[in-house]
Amino acid sequence: MGLGLLASRTLRTTTILSKSPRIFASQDPSNALRSIVSTPELQNPEAAAAAQPNPTPDLPPRTPVAGARVHLPNPDDAIEVFVDGYPVKIPKGMTVLQACEVAGVDIPRFCYHSRLSIAGNCRMCLVEVEKSPKPVASCAMPALPGMKIKTDTPVAKKAREGVMEFLLMNHPLDCPICDQGGECDLQDQSMAFGSDRGRFTEMKRSVVDKNLGPLVKTVMTRCIQCTRCVRFATEVAGVQDLGMLGRGSGEEIGTYVEKLMTSELSGNVIDICPVGALTSKPFAFKARNWELKGTESIDVTDAVGSNIRIDSRGPEVMRILPRLNEDINEEWISDKTRFCYDGLKRQRLNDPMIRGPDGRFKTVSWRDALAVVAEIAHQVKPEEIVGIAGQLSDAESMMALKDFLNKMGSNNVWCEGNDMHPCADLRSGYLLNSSIGGLEKADVFLLVGTQPRVEAAMVNARIRKTVRATHAKVGYIGPATDFNYDHQHLGTGPQTLLEIAEGRHPFCSALLNAKNPAIIVGAGLFERKDKDAIFYAVETIAKLGKVVRSDWNGLNVLLRNAAQAAALDLGLVPESGKNIESAKFLYLMGADDVNLDKLPDDAFVVYQGHHGDRSVYRANVIFPASAFSEKEGTYENTEGCTQQTLPAVPTVGDARDDWKIIRALSEVAGMQLPYDTPGAIRSRIKTVAPNLLHMDERDPATFSASLKPDFCQKMSLTAFGTTVENFYMTDPITRASKIMAQCSALLLKK
Amino acid sequence: MRTTHHANVRSFRLSTRSGPFSLLHPQNLLHISSSASSSAHFPPKKMLARLASKRLLEIRQVFRQSPQTSRSLSTALNYHIDSPDNNPDVPWEFSDANKEKVKEIISHYPSNYKQSAVIPLLDLAQQQQGGWLPVSAMNAVAKVIEVAPIRVYEVATFYSMFNRSKVGKYHLLVCGTTPCMIRGSREIEDALLKHLGVKRNEVTKDGLFSVGEMECMGCCVNAPMITVADYSNGSEGYTYNYYEDVTPKRVVEIVEMLRRGEKLPPGTQNPLRTKSGPEGGNTTLLSEPKPPPCRDLDAC
Amino acid sequence: MASVVRSVLKAIGEKGIGTFIRELKEEGFVRCLSDGNLLQTKIHNIGATLVGIDKFGNKYYEKLDGMQYGRHRWVEYAEKGRYNASQVPAEWHGWLHYITDHTGKELLAQKPKRYGLDHKENFSGEGDEYIYHSKGHTLNPGQRDWTRYQPWQPTKS
Repeated sequence: MGLGLLASRTLRTTTILSKSPRIFASQDPSNALRSIVSTPELQNPEAAAAAQPNPTPDLPPRTPVAGARVHLPNPDDAIEVFVDGYPVKIPKGMTVLQACEVAGVDIPRFCYHSRLSIAGNCRMCLVEVEKSPKPVASCAMPALPGMKIKTDTPVAKKAREGVMEFLLMNHPLDCPICDQGGECDLQDQSMAFGSDRGRFTEMKRSVVDKNLGPLVKTVMTRCIQCTRCVRFATEVAGVQDLGMLGRGSGEEIGTYVEKLMTSELSGNVIDICPVGALTSKPFAFKARNWELKGTESIDVTDAVGSNIRIDSRGPEVMRILPRLNEDINEEWISDKTRFCYDGLKRQRLNDPMIRGPDGRFKTVSWRDALAVVAEIAHQVKPEEIVGIAGQLSDAESMMALKDFLNKMGSNNVWCEGNDMHPCADLRSGYLLNSSIGGLEKADVFLLVGTQPRVEAAMVNARIRKTVRATHAKVGYIGPATDFNYDHQHLGTGPQTLLEIAEGRHPFCSALLNAKNPAIIVGAGLFERKDKDAIFYAVETIAKLGKVVRSDWNGLNVLLRNAAQAAALDLGLVPESGKNIESAKFLYLMGADDVNLDKLPDDAFVVYQGHHGDRSVYRANVIFPASAFSEKEGTYENTEGCTQQTLPAVPTVGDARDDWKIIRALSEVAGMQLPYDTPGAIRSRIKTVAPNLLHMDERDPATFSASLKPDFCQKMSLTAFGTTVENFYMTDPITRASKIMAQCSALLLKK
Repeated sequence: MRTTHHANVRSFRLSTRSGPFSLLHPQNLLHISSSASSSAHFPPKKMLARLASKRLLEIRQVFRQSPQTSRSLSTALNYHIDSPDNNPDVPWEFSDANKEKVKEIISHYPSNYKQSAVIPLLDLAQQQQGGWLPVSAMNAVAKVIEVAPIRVYEVATFYSMFNRSKVGKYHLLVCGTTPCMIRGSREIEDALLKHLGVKRNEVTKDGLFSVGEMECMGCCVNAPMITVADYSNGSEGYTYNYYEDVTPKRVVEIVEMLRRGEKLPPGTQNPLRTKSGPEGGNTTLLSEPKPPPCRDLDAC
Repeated sequence: MASVVRSVLKAIGEKGIGTFIRELKEEGFVRCLSDGNLLQTKIHNIGATLVGIDKFGNKYYEKLDGMQYGRHRWVEYAEKGRYNASQVPAEWHGWLHYITDHTGKELLAQKPKRYGLDHKENFSGEGDEYIYHSKGHTLNPGQRDWTRYQPWQPTKS
């Protein structure tokens, strides 16, 4: 959009210029014939510049590009520069390109990326600066006070046209078969600065394609050596695998030795690649981007709630892309989020089924299935009814499930991951209180029993960003695991935690000297018997290190599942630890990671969900439900931010939304739930957890440090376990995905 | 001339497509094109025939060009292919003598900028290995300076002086840049290759010699020249000498002397020159230089 | 005109009236009454040379004198009802369209290898089964199923 504007503005300039007959007269006609530039006056930029009238300063105010914001921490540090005659105030240290963005001018660029270090090697962002002898690479040039920047002069345009010609020289003409076609920076910018013919008569360069694993497809001949991927891998992903090899025209991106890119963020290089050199392997040749319908939604494969855009064509999810959200995922998403979508098309439950006496499932109508379940539910004692919500459940359906089971007389309803003893009493006891964005302010991290790299890749990326920027110290207690930043492995179990709590550990000094210490406790500890003792120790450390203050709350819990936070807000907690053993009627709402070994054989199991995964094999009745891409659902992420998914594709077969199924079942069972619309169910939620209605807002927990359990439980000395065994397969969707299976086979190989 | 010729070809193509007459006969082509060409000092048929044959030759040359000939870097590949003697599993370590040198090299740099030592360390490793860098040597360097191996690979692939495949004990590098090329470096390279019976970047069967090309060696006043990188005595006796003003005959002599193990003084090989001075002694500036007039303070 | 009447009478005399009328029907003279194109072709045929008949029974005529150049070759289709240009087989196409002077018979005598497939008339518009629908087209018989997911198959556990 910005470039189109730029092109039209350039065209306008040239039309103004071509009205000047002097310039036309000065042109040698034979020269114009040989020229590849379509505007003849560009052959003589100086004369054209001289003919141009001085830009009038009374330009209409412009809107900054892509929401570029100026934050002036110190008004004295502000400097004023003029972009095309339009004055802008910017803080000291901003580059010329950023100043132009603030002024509302989109500078074409390939190598510059706002979240990566500046390379300045593509030269596409050349602008003219008054009193500078040459065009200036705006991305690498700091803006100086009073600088007069000109972005659409013939000099700048000609410079960019020259750069573009060199870039296109070795770029193959395979746009019609290139997956980047339609969303390619080079394609877009060649509309503004490219020529319709080339002067290059030599052979084009060709480069051997690299194998970067099952996710990223490479066509290295298309590479324009912007090094964005190299910088991304080094700086954000923290895997130093990619590099720039060779020199001159033989330069290429590669790993030199045969090596796969083993990062959980590797998919993001597809987005940052400005050309089609790195594209998505699963999406290769599947669709064109202009055929796709984008739906802005939320990722549910982990507790981070990354903002995503689901691109669909007809009834099919074609790909998933990140959406910008500075507070949660910036503009990256993990590979699991990006590539789990093919799991949405496999192993789907599409019809209600009842297990017959022969042990085989047979397809029945909704009416029959609901009638059977309602009848059985009335035959068992109320305390033998148990409901478990799965890790992908939305708040609405969990509310409906809890209300329904309460009406049946049972309060045994909880969410996966909260099986044992979650601390649901205080909201601050299960949230990431310092918020994901707030982690950047921390200077010491203490990770207790959590492996953020596999549990919440985006939180890990945030910690890594902080560690890189401020050399924050990271201490880790738990089993040995991979980190992509410097860390100290303090110990493996509660013993170390106790040592720190008692001030006997060398890490204590770092914690005490820190300005903003952050403690992150993994939600996997909820499942330990001695959870209370561990949390008591953690709170002692927090008190010791002044982690919880009025201006900083660094005591965090990192949840594992998308449904966990909302479930705890809604009060879905088990009554006692032995519910499953005595259950006669088990209602599983997408719960596949529950251990059903202790379930009595005569228990009646209803499975409501979207994938034939694990629990379905124990089920007596199956209700097909819709997946997160097919429904409107509220999710709360680990920091307490409420967000909503939107339906991108229709549901499959005869499946229905989770809450609608429970609503229908309640009616058949004779105890109708009082809501018929999502609006009505939300007003019910409002009475339980009003924060779940504040969309896209983070409701911080109102903390009260005094309400601490004052009993001391005996702490066992067994080491902390690994919460997530396989990063790529954690829920029914990712377990059904072929791509994720490939990833875990190839990338997790030791 | 070229443009008229193109126009003729185009008109010929157009007419075959549009007209019902057969234009395939060359006579017809010549007839039509001669009518189009206006400047005809000599018989148009002859001129056009010559032009046509010239063009054909050009086209044929374009097709004959093989892609390999365009690469002239020390080792062409920018990626590694495992081979029995060059793979990451081959153990490689600095020798004990060189470990001292490594310490000494690293001591030149601030301790938080150890990675600056990558080039001297790679050079040391290359000398120790006998003129080339196996991938395990690069990994060893990466370990010493505590960076990811890819950062070392980047440097090693960038500089053409780092050889990533085997070279001979005497690695001969012919300067191929313009001044040397004008003074006949192509002939010198051809003479070397012919004498040794190898191709560029190939090692002779006895493992003694290999020939490569280098960009400007910076001694253009003594063009053409070759460099002999002598790895026969390990990193202690390593020499890297320029032999300047060479001729195809002289380089063959140099190769034979190296093969016999004789020492020969580096520098210009032209007996009439001393260093970079002109042949046969100075021809100008023979007398004492006079001071510049304005500096003569007495004259003022 | 008189010669036409004479030849008609002669033919009746030779074949008998019944055969003559049947042949008249087969040759499409009856249809001429409703089909002006056919009638005109028939009138054209008078005095023209019959150059050849192809395997489908289409008759190829040529008349050099008195005709405008470029309109001197034509075909009378064997199919009298729904005739169209695609009924001309490949070997005769060139002759009919003045691409070559060789008749289809001469071309076939050279046993060409190029005609890999037997010539088939274009049946577009003759019914759904003859209309080509690309793979993704709604009317392609293979495209009836819009399911884009793989359902879970219950197996006895």
